[in-house]
Amino acid sequence: MVALAGCLLLPFVEFRPNRIVSGTFETVFVAGVASWALVALIALALVVALAPGRVRGSLLLVAGAGMGLALLWALGVAAVHLQEGAPAIVRVSVGPGAWLVGLGALIVWFAGTRATASVLVRRIAGVAVLLGVAAIAMWGGLGELSLAREYAVQSRRFWTLVRQHLVLAGTGVGFGVLIGIPLGVAASRNRVVRDAGLGIASVIQTIPSMAMLGLLIAPLAALGLTAIGTTPAVIALTLYALLPIMRNTFVGLAGVDAAVIDAGRGMGMGRLQLLLRVEAPLALPLVIEGVRAAAVLVIGIAAVTAFIGAGGLGILVFQGWGQQADDLTLLGAIPMVVLAVLADVSMRGLRRLVVSPGIEEGTLT
Amino acid sequence: MILPPRMRPVVAAFAGTMLFAWIVGQQELWASVLGSLFPESARPVYPAATVAELTMQHLRLVGISSGLTLLVGIPLGMWVTRPSGADFREIVSAAVDFGQTFPPVAVLALMMPILGFGLWPAVVALFLYGMFPVVSNTVAGLEAVPRTVIDAARGMGMDRARILFTVEMPLAARIIMAGVRTSVVINIGTATVAAAVGAGGLGDPIIGGISVQNMAYVLQGATAAALLAVVADGLLAGAERLLTPRGLEA
Amino acid sequence: MITLRDVTKRYGEVTAVDGVSFEVPSGEVCVLIGPSGCGKTTTLRMINRLIEPTSGSIEIDGQDVMSVRPEELRRHIGYVIQSVGLFPHLTVAENVATVPKLLGWERRRYEPKVRELLGIVGLPPAEYADKYPRQLSGGQAQRVGVARALVADPPLLLMDEPFGAVDPLTRERLQAEFVRIQRELKKTVIFVTHDVDEAIKLADRIALMRSGNLEQYDTPETLLDHPASKFVHDFMGSDRALKRLGRARVANVMRTVESTTGGARSVVAEACGGSRFVYLTDERGVLEGWVDCKVLDAGTPPEEAGTTVDWHEAAVHPETTLKDALSRMLGFGFRNVAVVDADGRLVGEVSLAAIEGTMADADTHIANLEEGEVLGAIPEESPAERDELT
Repeated sequence: MVALAGCLLLPFVEFRPNRIVSGTFETVFVAGVASWALVALIALALVVALAPGRVRGSLLLVAGAGMGLALLWALGVAAVHLQEGAPAIVRVSVGPGAWLVGLGALIVWFAGTRATASVLVRRIAGVAVLLGVAAIAMWGGLGELSLAREYAVQSRRFWTLVRQHLVLAGTGVGFGVLIGIPLGVAASRNRVVRDAGLGIASVIQTIPSMAMLGLLIAPLAALGLTAIGTTPAVIALTLYALLPIMRNTFVGLAGVDAAVIDAGRGMGMGRLQLLLRVEAPLALPLVIEGVRAAAVLVIGIAAVTAFIGAGGLGILVFQGWGQQADDLTLLGAIPMVVLAVLADVSMRGLRRLVVSPGIEEGTLT
Repeated sequence: MILPPRMRPVVAAFAGTMLFAWIVGQQELWASVLGSLFPESARPVYPAATVAELTMQHLRLVGISSGLTLLVGIPLGMWVTRPSGADFREIVSAAVDFGQTFPPVAVLALMMPILGFGLWPAVVALFLYGMFPVVSNTVAGLEAVPRTVIDAARGMGMDRARILFTVEMPLAARIIMAGVRTSVVINIGTATVAAAVGAGGLGDPIIGGISVQNMAYVLQGATAAALLAVVADGLLAGAERLLTPRGLEA
Repeated sequence: MITLRDVTKRYGEVTAVDGVSFEVPSGEVCVLIGPSGCGKTTTLRMINRLIEPTSGSIEIDGQDVMSVRPEELRRHIGYVIQSVGLFPHLTVAENVATVPKLLGWERRRYEPKVRELLGIVGLPPAEYADKYPRQLSGGQAQRVGVARALVADPPLLLMDEPFGAVDPLTRERLQAEFVRIQRELKKTVIFVTHDVDEAIKLADRIALMRSGNLEQYDTPETLLDHPASKFVHDFMGSDRALKRLGRARVANVMRTVESTTGGARSVVAEACGGSRFVYLTDERGVLEGWVDCKVLDAGTPPEEAGTTVDWHEAAVHPETTLKDALSRMLGFGFRNVAVVDADGRLVGEVSLAAIEGTMADADTHIANLEEGEVLGAIPEESPAERDELT
């Protein structure tokens, strides 16, 4: 955390004549009052971290949230200030110093949430941060930053690509569920399916995604299909989604206590009833965990399928690399992270929602 | 010759590695096979570098980044499970959990604006991304060591360092190695994508092949990259087996 | 000699151990007992400084434990815990060799010692030395734990509920072996348990603790006969006569018996020599069963008049307490039980009458046992049925 202070001396924002060429760096102090607020909050975080006490958690929360908000504020002020009277093509983008301060704010915030016992305090802090971010986004001049300007230029295409990305990943996970769960059930009933299925699926998992797209050329050509476009992408994504879903279904079913199955059988349940009424609910947490892992994985791999023209946010990243336009790259990468994190969080939420309260949290991995 | 069961995967992995090294070295073989698969293509083999050269570039990228990952990740995991690092245990775990949801491409993409293009920025990105499974498994492995075993070790008069290195690390070795294996295999995959930011390696013919519409290049790079990943996975699985103490084998 | 003076341990506002003082003379077994949370384990762990005392002093043979580096201190104190804590990645022999290696012994020096100790705890080294902990039963693992604690010959042994996690029959056997080993090695032992019967059986002195305080420190007999408080009285239990039997050993009341290696009717009949029963052994003297002479006289062939038993199940050892011997008799419905040594060789028998004789003030159910319930009353039962009775 001491290193955080040093980050302030790193370039805070970059001032560039247009969106491609690199420009001159400015330190945080171009932001005036906002920069001093930021410095003060970082100092607070340092002091709080060094002097542990009962209110340490809450103070860390305040410091972390404050750092994040002050950072956004300072960025906005800097952007507006630097672009005053300059031509519209001028860009102000976020520098390394600002990224590191942002990371620091996240760390402080995390430490705060872990150290705060009160759920109420955490909720209030969360809502306050959201309101603060919204306020700064609306009035704080963030729209003047290069990332926002890039978005303004690309906005219609951006949302198309987000949708494509979701459709690609969703289809991959969907097929993964449709094929993986029955295979997992079969694996728990049959040794051959278990050894062959899990073996093949884990070899597939090992193969780099780019290589997989390339390797699909030959079989697809044999079927008269091209190796470019959405079809090979969905096939590859489905293949990658298989292993986590299939393995977790198998492990979940194999982990069901034999005594429970015996009891079910003793009550006169048939094989199918046993599977649906006893085994499925008990294996469900692990199955959902498998789907979660598959979703996170596939959202990441869907980025690579842009290479073979399947669309998605990967296009922005690769075009950004091709044109050396960092803003474009970030416009693709950041939403990708957001999608992956959202998928992760929502699947964890789903698991909590549907899993029988009789099954302890401890049995979930 | 009859091999003990624990040596079998090791020997198989070693033989696989040898075979892979031989295949990679046979440039004419690649040329003739690709030529017969793509008879209409005038140049079925990637011209800029041989398969062996590309593989070496790839291995250099993965070797440096994974090496750094191990050098930093394992000690970091050890440190946060010690009393001196216990304060950072939660935050490191949170960061590692969070980091593992990041798409590898996004990590590469987020690094580029800060570090630029080329080999070294890619090394840094792979190094950071590879840390997540290594740190998380090191922490998990060390925490899975039964408290009672550590209590017995203390009661017999072992000091902390000796407990860590002669009791905890051997017992955690299997889980740590599983994390290393995941990390390296993911790195080999991400390194393929890193060709797009100028890091070289087996991704070059794939990306080059797509941009000039030559599927032979793509297949060449894809086959070599897939083989490399599978062989590395097998080799690390063998190492995992060897490092598992006999008393812990099922 | 171990001396605790005013030893106190506080965790924040909570006082776990509050000014405890007592002395354990060398070669004696001191059992720390009390309800859970009374501070007995904390007290034990302060002796080898796994927990640092807040105040007070602990001396081992006049040396303050705080004056020694904790690791060095612990290497000279044996330590056995309920969960055993064997290192799963090391073999039995490597586990036992841990402390000698820490002490820098050469292999030449510790290897014979390791094998000797494994033999002492009843695990033949040829069979067990190269096994891994996961291949052992609970009782065997705890034997290795004891061997590991004893191998460097520490004068002091700390045991924290060492027999708490094994089944009752194994526990009884481990306790009997502990008594045998302790008689041989004469260690100073501090032993934590919550089981009153175990304390009475093993202790030279009992330290009864309650919420961090020492309630009474004395011999088991005194605790039973002259409890210092109502708490001590209640904790020790109401069946005092029976409890007292836990203090006497079979060796004190057993008598020698006739035995035969079996064979022809005439040989067995001669061995009977007027007694009602005669024990059967193999050539080495290991108990194999017994023959009912009355049934034999009635003309039944020797092999049908006899009963075959497994000495592990059906016999007691000289170190067994009279309480355990009595409960064995009651369990089987016999008035006599055979006594064997550690290898199963017949050394004598102990009778209900002999046990009765040791307790002049004996009460109730023992005297009320029906006269007719003699050994021969259930002569035809098979070993399987005998097992069910236990």
